[in-house]
Amino acid sequence: MTDVPVSRIRNFSIIAHIDHGKSTLADRMLQVTKTVAQREMKEQFLDNMDLERERGITIKLQAARMNYKAKDGEDYVLNLIDTPGHVDFSYEVSRSLAACEGALLVVDSSQGVEAQTLANVYLALENDLEVIPVLNKIDLPGSEPERVSQEIEEVVGLDCTDIIKASAKAGIGIDEILESIVNLVPPPEDTIDKPLRALIFDSYYDAYRGVIVYFRVMDGKVRKGDRVRLMASGKEYEIDELGVLSPNQIQVEELHAGEVGYFAAAIKTVEDARVGDTITLANKPADEPLPGYTEAKPMVFCGLFPTDSDQYPDLKDALEKLKLNDAALSYEPETSSAMGFGFRCGFLGLLHMEIVQERLEREYNLELITTAPSVIYRVTTTEEEVIEIDNPSLLPPPQKRTKIEEPYIQVEIIAPESFVGTLMELCQSCRGEFKDMKYFTLNRTCLIYELPLAEVVTDFFDRLKSRSRGYASMEYQLIGYRENHLVKLDILVNKEVVDALSTIVHRDKAYYVGRALAEKLKELIPRHQFKVPIQAAIGTKVIASEHIPALRKDVLAKCYGGDISRKKKLLQKQAKGKKRMKAIGTVDVPQEAFMAVLKLDS
Amino acid sequence: MNPTAAYLHIPFCRRRCYYCDFAISVVGDRPLTDNSNIVTDYINYLCQEILATPETDTPLQTIFFGGGTPSLLPVKQLAQIIDTLQQKFKIAQDAEISMEIDPNTFNPEKLQGYLECGVNRVSLGIQTFDEKLLQICGRTHTVKDIFQAIEIIKKLSIKNFSLDLITGLPYQTLEQCQASLETAIKINPSHLSCYDLVLEPVTVFGKKYQPGKNPLPTDETTAAMYHLTQQLLTINGYQHYEISNYAQPGYQCQHNRIYWENKPYYGFGMGAASYVNQKRYTRPRTRREYYNWVKEGAVIDVPETSKSDRILETLMLGLRLAEGVNLSAISQQFGGQITTKILDCLQQYQKLNWVIFEPNLSRLRLKDPEGFLFSNQILTTLFELDFSEHDYLLG
Repeated sequence: MTDVPVSRIRNFSIIAHIDHGKSTLADRMLQVTKTVAQREMKEQFLDNMDLERERGITIKLQAARMNYKAKDGEDYVLNLIDTPGHVDFSYEVSRSLAACEGALLVVDSSQGVEAQTLANVYLALENDLEVIPVLNKIDLPGSEPERVSQEIEEVVGLDCTDIIKASAKAGIGIDEILESIVNLVPPPEDTIDKPLRALIFDSYYDAYRGVIVYFRVMDGKVRKGDRVRLMASGKEYEIDELGVLSPNQIQVEELHAGEVGYFAAAIKTVEDARVGDTITLANKPADEPLPGYTEAKPMVFCGLFPTDSDQYPDLKDALEKLKLNDAALSYEPETSSAMGFGFRCGFLGLLHMEIVQERLEREYNLELITTAPSVIYRVTTTEEEVIEIDNPSLLPPPQKRTKIEEPYIQVEIIAPESFVGTLMELCQSCRGEFKDMKYFTLNRTCLIYELPLAEVVTDFFDRLKSRSRGYASMEYQLIGYRENHLVKLDILVNKEVVDALSTIVHRDKAYYVGRALAEKLKELIPRHQFKVPIQAAIGTKVIASEHIPALRKDVLAKCYGGDISRKKKLLQKQAKGKKRMKAIGTVDVPQEAFMAVLKLDS
Repeated sequence: MNPTAAYLHIPFCRRRCYYCDFAISVVGDRPLTDNSNIVTDYINYLCQEILATPETDTPLQTIFFGGGTPSLLPVKQLAQIIDTLQQKFKIAQDAEISMEIDPNTFNPEKLQGYLECGVNRVSLGIQTFDEKLLQICGRTHTVKDIFQAIEIIKKLSIKNFSLDLITGLPYQTLEQCQASLETAIKINPSHLSCYDLVLEPVTVFGKKYQPGKNPLPTDETTAAMYHLTQQLLTINGYQHYEISNYAQPGYQCQHNRIYWENKPYYGFGMGAASYVNQKRYTRPRTRREYYNWVKEGAVIDVPETSKSDRILETLMLGLRLAEGVNLSAISQQFGGQITTKILDCLQQYQKLNWVIFEPNLSRLRLKDPEGFLFSNQILTTLFELDFSEHDYLLG
């Protein structure tokens, strides 16, 4: 790696909606600049996790340094800093953007600007980034460059006179994009002589080298062997390994202002090197840390219980390991009378929750039962004390509390006009308060609602997608707490309260939710040798009641001409299903039942 | 142990019945002659498969022609198959040779022809004596056809004959079920199979109906039908010797017992299952794939059934029989502490009197009818046991 003057460094990221072609474009740039040889090219090089590749979204950030000889004859270093593409990780996005001077706004020319893109463009503009619009998928038959350019101009407010028309897949417009990065994105400020300040925009845990920290040097320089201090955590480390990402790690001796790289320093957990923290030199520290650091706070909570109680230590182990790599994940032991020992876990959002669950099941081979997600309620007790409740079963009884407040979010939904009616209906049914409606272009509308977060953490997103046939996109931000008339809804199976099925709902919806939940559980819980009553109750008042009739027979009449394999498979499946059930008293309850509240028809 | 039983699959049917998902070939209503290409081709491949099978010195004790509708087969072709079996394996003098036959597919001459080939037991598929229900099932015969068929069987003095009934059909009431049973009892067959309808997903019924929901009878009703069948048949001299099978003394189906006793058997023809040298194999389910498989040498390339699976299969099949299984024999065969393990796990059902253990005979069996009716519950509990340690034991 040769030393590069600050004036010939360009740091940029790519802002794009899911499926609009960000990863393909990044791959293409790596190829054109010969950063990654053709033969090493996996599809979507930057998306490393299996989960990401399966879903076509980027969860974990990546970065890549490219050498590029521009048309002016000079050699430039282009650092691409990738951003995660989901609302759950908007803080990480903001830190990545803070490490750049420019951003490519990639919009699918057959679709248009989506809510998530818009939110990230605003973040980029707030960070004073030069935003370069790019129309992608220009070669597709449905491409409408005129309409989409107009939309970008109107909605985002960017000049689209010379908008780049590209197709990452077909390799169209890639040179133009590289040139515009060189010409339009400003070089970093030359502050090599100032004391070291470097911004952490990502980190991950490596079993051999400890935490690998990805950073951008904002001021000064850093050398291998330097003793550095992380200004927020206050911890100090000696840098064992320093390097750049190309995108594979290549070791270097020194990095200076404007450069992007990584270091390893035997850091034990990512919590000690959080995204947004400032790196400085221990013996010559900067006066002030870089602005913008906050600790990501979990917003969504659920209980995770091993199906097989023997797996509790394994679950604990796995959470500890995930936590090494995920500072935003929180967990603490929870004991449920229905489910036994497990953990109450906190997540940034629903996707984050899903990712953690999937990783626990896939990478750690755990079988888990998950309770329905919940939010943090603020409860004022009769003693005037305010307590935070992230588990409905812990809500103090009505005579011990004076009020319950719940978190609210502002949601922006972008969708074609024809879906506005049904989406408003959805928001209304989720206790939403209408705030505003804006028309972007003829066919695209932005709806703004304020909604209780609790309503959104259930299946809001799925319903939004199905009601809009996939066309709507959304973005939300927390706006504070509001008092509401909330009650705790308990579920009794065979006369026993199942704590893991308790939920907090608005009083006006309690009757409906209670009845729907009882009906759903009747479907999900198999018949037993005795009649099983299912009730929904608020306090001691039963508001809905169903019963599962007793099992009358369970027999397979015939073995098909000696082909016993089918019957055996059936029994094996039943045995496996039974093992995965939780015993509530004498009633076996399948896992799906604990998520039933998410599956109510409405 | 060498197989002493052979199942032969004759896939031809005039139409597919609405509850059936077997491997069959629909041939329509024209009678099949002994030079129909479809039949000669199939029988040639079938015999080729028999001849490709490694021989043993143990003669066959039971042969079963199942289907499909074996009685669509011209006599000449049946003779060809039996000759091939005789040539390959030898057939014991007193062997039981069963054949499934359907009303409206044979006349006295044809049936007489089958008997002359060696068939000595027939199983007549009638399903119900209710005209409307026959139509609902998509059967190709009427009630009158059933009686004509029975008349032929009686005329030819076939004492070893069975009737097949289905209970739990759509729109069927308990009264209709009783009427069918009473008619069957009057006919006085030596054997009766009474199957509770199984809804298979890829059938007309499976697509049209949901289990326990109208027009299918409720679980309460079909359970009552099971009780009724058991009571009516046992007081009329039938032994309830298997979950769905009843026989007069001396007339149990020897061939089917081989399956339930988890003994080895040959299987020939498309979709047929075999259990030879601890290997279970199910043949391709379409004619073309089956022919290709035979052409390529009829190779059975599957692993041996593990010991732990054999234990479960022995229990799953053996507990279908009224006499149940002999636990000390299983322990002897597979080693280890099987008896205690099984009895411990079944305690809850012993308390309910669904499962009976007779220590002096070391016999474990299900109580008739309660244990039979809930046999899947009991077996599921057994399937939760881990017998994998036996996979590492010698023997």
